[in-house]
Amino acid sequence: MQAFLRIIKPGDLLLIVVLLIISFLPFGIFYLQSQSDGDRIAVISLDGENIETVNLSAHPNHDIFNVETASGETNTIAVSDGTLRISSATCPDQVCVRTGFIEHAGETIVCLPHRLVIEIKAESEDPPQDIDIISSFIHFH
Amino acid sequence: MTKNQRLVYIALLASQAVVIGLVERAIPSPFFFAPGAKLGLANIITVMALYTLPTKDTIKVVVIRLLLQTLLGGTLSTFFYSASGAALSFIGMWFIKLLPQKAVSLIGVSATGAVLHNVGQLLIASVIAQTFSVMLYLPVLSLIGILTGIAIGITANYLLTHIERLHYYMDLRTLKRDLI
Repeated sequence: MQAFLRIIKPGDLLLIVVLLIISFLPFGIFYLQSQSDGDRIAVISLDGENIETVNLSAHPNHDIFNVETASGETNTIAVSDGTLRISSATCPDQVCVRTGFIEHAGETIVCLPHRLVIEIKAESEDPPQDIDIISSFIHFH
Repeated sequence: MTKNQRLVYIALLASQAVVIGLVERAIPSPFFFAPGAKLGLANIITVMALYTLPTKDTIKVVVIRLLLQTLLGGTLSTFFYSASGAALSFIGMWFIKLLPQKAVSLIGVSATGAVLHNVGQLLIASVIAQTFSVMLYLPVLSLIGILTGIAIGITANYLLTHIERLHYYMDLRTLKRDLI
């Protein structure tokens, strides 16, 4: 601890605060964006292509289905009580399974080995102009 | 530093970074609650190179480490992730290091490196997944990154002050910069 206090400089603390703010920036953007309260739609896309949508707000009961990639790998998706998760997958890292349940707008499950993305979007009456901002951001990078 | 000394030093740093990276991959990640988070021990070497070598040679160390690590058990997609992470974190650390040494120590430099490494990786992930919402994972990763970055900074500082040769190289570098 003494060694730590001797090394650390005031600029470091300032820098750490700035880094913390930077790292919570995406949170702020998505919070502003998810203010709308409409139906929550889970959009399942494979390799950038939209293959299935599930309306979580209107989903009455439990549902389990498989998504198969072109190379025969599968992800099993379980929907229950307005939440969604990947219950099992044939990918090597299992990050998607460990992500667990998602339910709020803006939350995602990503299975990179299978290039599978599940994203919950809020459907509202307003024109979704924020989507343009985000897509332009992605194309920018 | 003679030309040969520098050559050997670059090679040593790069190979040490590769070995540290491989050893780190062999031990299970202590951050079981955050998949994808890691200690980033190899960053010790990058920070040390940054403080003891000219910028051009530091880039050499980083690039050699990246290529070797990919060849020793990486794939094309992990290469893109680590390349963007390494590039962004190197640029960030380089800029932070420009600040006067009285104001910012190794801790700040390596914490910046850790956070920007995560930013770079998640940017590539969001490009591949074509959704910006992957970035929502950033707070988890960078909180851990800041903590490990502080630890890495202390470790690198310890090495730079206690290993005589490194200390000498560092003095040599600051001396040269002051003269120019």
